[in-house]
Amino acid sequence: MRHWLRSYLLLLRWHTIRLRYLLPLMLVIQTLLAVGIVVGFSFLLPTIDDATALYLATGAPTLGLITVGMVLAPQMVAQAKTEGTFDYHRTLPVPRSALLAADVTTWFATSLPGLALALFTATLRFDLDLDVSPLVVPAILLVALTATAIGYAISYAVPPAVANLAAQVIVFVALMFSPINFPADRLPGWLQAVHQVLPFQHMAEAIRGTLVAGAAGLDAVPFAVLAVWCALGLTVTLRVMTRRS
Amino acid sequence: MLLRVDNLTKIYGRGARANDDLSLQVGEGEVLGLLGHNGAGKTTLLNQVAGLARPTSGTIVLDGRDPVADPAYARRVCALQLQAQAPLTGVTPRQAIDMLGRIRGGRRQRVRERTGQLLAALDITEWADTPGEKLSGGVRRLTAFCMAVVEPGRLVMLDEPTNDVDPVRRRLIWQQVRQLAADGCAVVVVTHNVTEAERSVDRVVVLDHGRVATTGTPVELRRRASGDLRLELTLTPGVAAPEPPSWATRTTVRGQHMVISVASAGAPQAIAWAQHLHASESVAQFVLNPISLEEIYVGLTGTSEEDHDAALAA
Repeated sequence: MRHWLRSYLLLLRWHTIRLRYLLPLMLVIQTLLAVGIVVGFSFLLPTIDDATALYLATGAPTLGLITVGMVLAPQMVAQAKTEGTFDYHRTLPVPRSALLAADVTTWFATSLPGLALALFTATLRFDLDLDVSPLVVPAILLVALTATAIGYAISYAVPPAVANLAAQVIVFVALMFSPINFPADRLPGWLQAVHQVLPFQHMAEAIRGTLVAGAAGLDAVPFAVLAVWCALGLTVTLRVMTRRS
Repeated sequence: MLLRVDNLTKIYGRGARANDDLSLQVGEGEVLGLLGHNGAGKTTLLNQVAGLARPTSGTIVLDGRDPVADPAYARRVCALQLQAQAPLTGVTPRQAIDMLGRIRGGRRQRVRERTGQLLAALDITEWADTPGEKLSGGVRRLTAFCMAVVEPGRLVMLDEPTNDVDPVRRRLIWQQVRQLAADGCAVVVVTHNVTEAERSVDRVVVLDHGRVATTGTPVELRRRASGDLRLELTLTPGVAAPEPPSWATRTTVRGQHMVISVASAGAPQAIAWAQHLHASESVAQFVLNPISLEEIYVGLTGTSEEDHDAALAA
């Protein structure tokens, strides 16, 4: 356990040093995304009532987490595979799980500024009153971890070029065809059914449910579905990391 | 023996036989040079020892334990420098070497000192604090070498460590390799630079199509070759090549160039014969050299390449 913790902390430092030069760029992308969703989407909609405002305001941070975990992270993994970094890290005398944990932690930390910015912009734009539940912390953690785990599983399991394409598809589906920024009942029935299984809607609900606790109480289903996706993503990733040719 | 490989065979999914019944040993304090063509199975062998690939059959014993059954153990004992460049984007050599030393289990103070020593020993202190993306290929390779040996473990495996490196610093790398052995590590160096290896390795294993073509010290290999001296004659243009003398073990003529293998006992005879030809102006110049490891290597793998082609054609 001491070896694991020592490896984890050192790898965390190693990743931070290596990714430091990317951080300003990440921050810019996330700011544009957050502001873009909140401000941009309101151009699409003629009138913004309270319900729409709530969806946009909570959808923006959710999309921020999805972008970092399922788009930026897998693209970086694809690049790492092309450059040989992936193979290099496989030779290090550290537990594979510590390597993955350090990676995921780095991405989580990277997505936090965007998350805060998205919420801040939304409350300014829509004059919202959030009713934040303490469960927001585990909810954000679970959503970020699930997004990164799925992103990693895809980029570890398929060749870099395919992973890059998959990342493009994911951001497109998440942005346009997922009930993140709008209620699910606007979608056709079959797509609603698909989203019962896919993680996007559940991510949005977990974040929305804890940011605006309300009287309705918190639904456990999104958390359960996300936990399954998260476990699946991590299992596939670890399996690929430890696989020997 | 720190590393013992017995009858190792590795067949990849597509049926390619990368290692074929391969056996070798490396002891503590020993530097083993691993030579062979591209695709001869050198990197595959390293990957199996380091616990990154699984052998199809055969056994590996690393410091008394099985790296195949316990790959995490293998990674702790081995320091491996991959053939591909190390990830240095955004990181300076000093940071990278220092971090890798710590990740490999070194204590902070000791690693810091060792990092400084290595940077100085390889004469790259000048670039110690330059980000990786601004470094030349050679300095990146030298940094990768330091990242592997900063905390070397018991077995150091280097896959073409002198690629892209200038001739002066190549010598510095080989000095460090010798130092690692002097400190008690077993060292395996994969290289295409046979001339360099000849000066610095204790023993050589030549791989050919996944098999051990030959093994021994450079001196042993030379002794086994057909005569350990080479007499090279440059013929005078327009003059026919002289008849090969009876003491020549092997003679080849290519254009104006005649090469004769000579046993060392025959050296006086060979010189007298060449001097006579030189005096009669049928040769423009001559030189007598010990046969190089490179010639033995080319002889070994070249012949088998021809056999292989012949077998394919048949």
